[in-house]
Amino acid sequence: MPSDTNDLVNRRTFLTVTGSSGIVGLSGCVSFGGGEESGGDGGTGDGSGDDGSGDGSGDGSSDDGSSDDGSGDGGPDTISLGQPASLSGQWDFLQPGVSQATDAAVAHINEAGGPLDAELEVIRRDTAVDPQEARTVTTQLIENDGVPAIVGLFSSEINPLWDFLQDFEVPMVTPWPGSTFLDTRGGDKATPEDLSDDEWLWRTVVGDTVHTSGSAVYALENDLDTLGVLNGTTEGERSYVEGFLSVYEDNGGTVAERVEVEIGGSSYQSALSRLFDAEFDAFLVSLPLESAITALSDWSDAGYGRQPILSDPLAQQDLVDQVGSDIHGAWAGSPGQSGPSYDTFEEIYSGEGDAEINAWTPPAWDAMQVIALAIERAGEATPEAIERNLGPVSRDGGTEVNTFAEGKEALANGEEISYQGAATPTNFTQHGNVFGSVTISTAGENGFEATSEVPAEDIREYVAEGEY
Amino acid sequence: MGLLQEAIFGVVTGSYIAIAAIGFTLIYGIVNMINFAYGEYLTLGAFVGFLAASAIPVPLPVAVVLAMIGGGVISIVLARGFFTPINHTGPVPMLLTSIGLGIAIRNAIRLFGGRSARYIETETATFRFDGVPDVTVGSVDLLGGFFVTSEHLIVFGSAVAVFLSIHALLTRTDVGIAMRAMGDDESLARVRGIDTQLIRDSVWVLAGVLAGLAGVLMAIQTNVSSTTGFSHILQILSAAILGGAGSPYGAIIGAYVIGLALAFSTAFLPSSMTGLSSAVAFAILIVVLLVKPSGIAGTEVREA
Repeated sequence: MPSDTNDLVNRRTFLTVTGSSGIVGLSGCVSFGGGEESGGDGGTGDGSGDDGSGDGSGDGSSDDGSSDDGSGDGGPDTISLGQPASLSGQWDFLQPGVSQATDAAVAHINEAGGPLDAELEVIRRDTAVDPQEARTVTTQLIENDGVPAIVGLFSSEINPLWDFLQDFEVPMVTPWPGSTFLDTRGGDKATPEDLSDDEWLWRTVVGDTVHTSGSAVYALENDLDTLGVLNGTTEGERSYVEGFLSVYEDNGGTVAERVEVEIGGSSYQSALSRLFDAEFDAFLVSLPLESAITALSDWSDAGYGRQPILSDPLAQQDLVDQVGSDIHGAWAGSPGQSGPSYDTFEEIYSGEGDAEINAWTPPAWDAMQVIALAIERAGEATPEAIERNLGPVSRDGGTEVNTFAEGKEALANGEEISYQGAATPTNFTQHGNVFGSVTISTAGENGFEATSEVPAEDIREYVAEGEY
Repeated sequence: MGLLQEAIFGVVTGSYIAIAAIGFTLIYGIVNMINFAYGEYLTLGAFVGFLAASAIPVPLPVAVVLAMIGGGVISIVLARGFFTPINHTGPVPMLLTSIGLGIAIRNAIRLFGGRSARYIETETATFRFDGVPDVTVGSVDLLGGFFVTSEHLIVFGSAVAVFLSIHALLTRTDVGIAMRAMGDDESLARVRGIDTQLIRDSVWVLAGVLAGLAGVLMAIQTNVSSTTGFSHILQILSAAILGGAGSPYGAIIGAYVIGLALAFSTAFLPSSMTGLSSAVAFAILIVVLLVKPSGIAGTEVREA
């Protein structure tokens, strides 16, 4: 169609306004939820991360870089760690607890004198759990900010970027990923001094293999022998279901129907209709929270009934509030919060803010503690030194310590230490994984409440030695 | 569940898409641009509805009306600010501007509106019709018991009201007839004394009103977040193109074809392929365009 209109605005004026708006908009996009630093004076971050300045390097971080040799008199003044974070995106509702745990840990570590008597700080940047964004943020943190270790990254980011991340040869200790992809990837292969066989990833949260095994065991113990499955098509949702079904089917459970759906749909009625045409005792839902609320609201409206089993991220108050009383009785198996130092963590954590504790909050605390202890034991804050010492400060043997403060003191006395974590005992396996109990939380009028626990020992028999 | 139940689900999904697709295709047909920022119009409408229902608060029907008004106002303001000044540059610069505007609005909403999803509180009633006999052909039950919810009825009822209103507007009012005239030939319409800028503005307002309605209906079914509209823009675009870009009647047909394709493919694809239902809908789009490039109800292929 030929242009045929009356110009109401001068073209030059329009271009000026549009250009200015574009620059403002672009700057908003680039720095949105961007860098924020915690630490310094003891951690001031509130976990909201909505003021990201996009800076993060430069002021506030060590002038001479966090990889300075800490030997002799010239130890670093500041040691910066990098934290890729989900300040936005579909998992952002989990970040406040993790940010607060990180900030609480930083504050605690600095109050205890800091690793190598330096001040610890965390540079936090938003990845929105987007692999491409995670690639950029991780590169910035390592190459530009020179951090000697990373505290973060989700399965959805790690798995597609595995080779890329390994090439950095910087230890990544993360409280997030549950993916079974990582069961045999990561860790020092039980040879701390030999870096040649290392894979530079450690996770302080129990993997999906463990807590999905716990959930499957619990389901079978409760005579839920036949299952329907509704899951999303993303890595995290599929991984959860695969882990669950692996144990469930190997031990006599049967899957009657499995329906995969795209996330973010306006309705899941067709998928539910197909699922509930099959006969089963319970149905497993593994979707992001917002999609799960839509799907379970549809389920409630249709009156399908039967026992819902939820993936662990769904044990949220919002789900109960939005779906209503039909969801009461649904349960989710989450990594247990039963580490030996959980009470210590909770006391310090609650003084830092009021963010809700979720399954990834205590692991975030543990991640900071083991890195700080590894630096303290190594006597220097280089990636190689931290990698060599993550295993020795956490595994059995040596004086058991609950916090960095206790560990620093023990190390100063020449003792070997074994950090006892808040989420789990934090005894890293050869593949950099941790093992722990599984808490069963059941939905009721007051939200999700812990109603049962599957001990770690019960789950261990379903997870082969050396394969986790 | 029988085919009838699946058809009901498909019709409801199609109704969401159709309301938005009419607004999208009106802009395409009369302003001659593909507005990729249209998803954000839905989002803004959803936010207006949410704020009206929860912050003021007003009854839900009033909130829906306010969302429609808000959508219309937002649409004309954005059009005057970003699209009207470059009308003469042609469809491609306008398309690119709309992409940039959409990104800027989406991030602005995330920045100022917060990151968490919000929910509009509603009560849903379910009506069951279990006595309908089965009529089986092969392994497929054509009828069988079914249910509808009050949300289904509201969405479908809203869509029908929109269809009738749009039909009346385009065939019974001077503005509607002028819109059709402009859609056919803007120069000729102008020569005949039609105030083309006024008609463009009318189209922007109308498209915004429809976006506001679609946005708030989607928000009631799902939630209100920065991606409420963006996550549906591909379906809206596909419905408009499938039906014949520029044709409101075609957009309605296209929307229901896509809605039914989504429902039936989820119901009947092999278990391992149920996550590909959207791909099936787009495959239908490709096939239709190969057979009839102008779309189901289209009569011409436009430049953009």
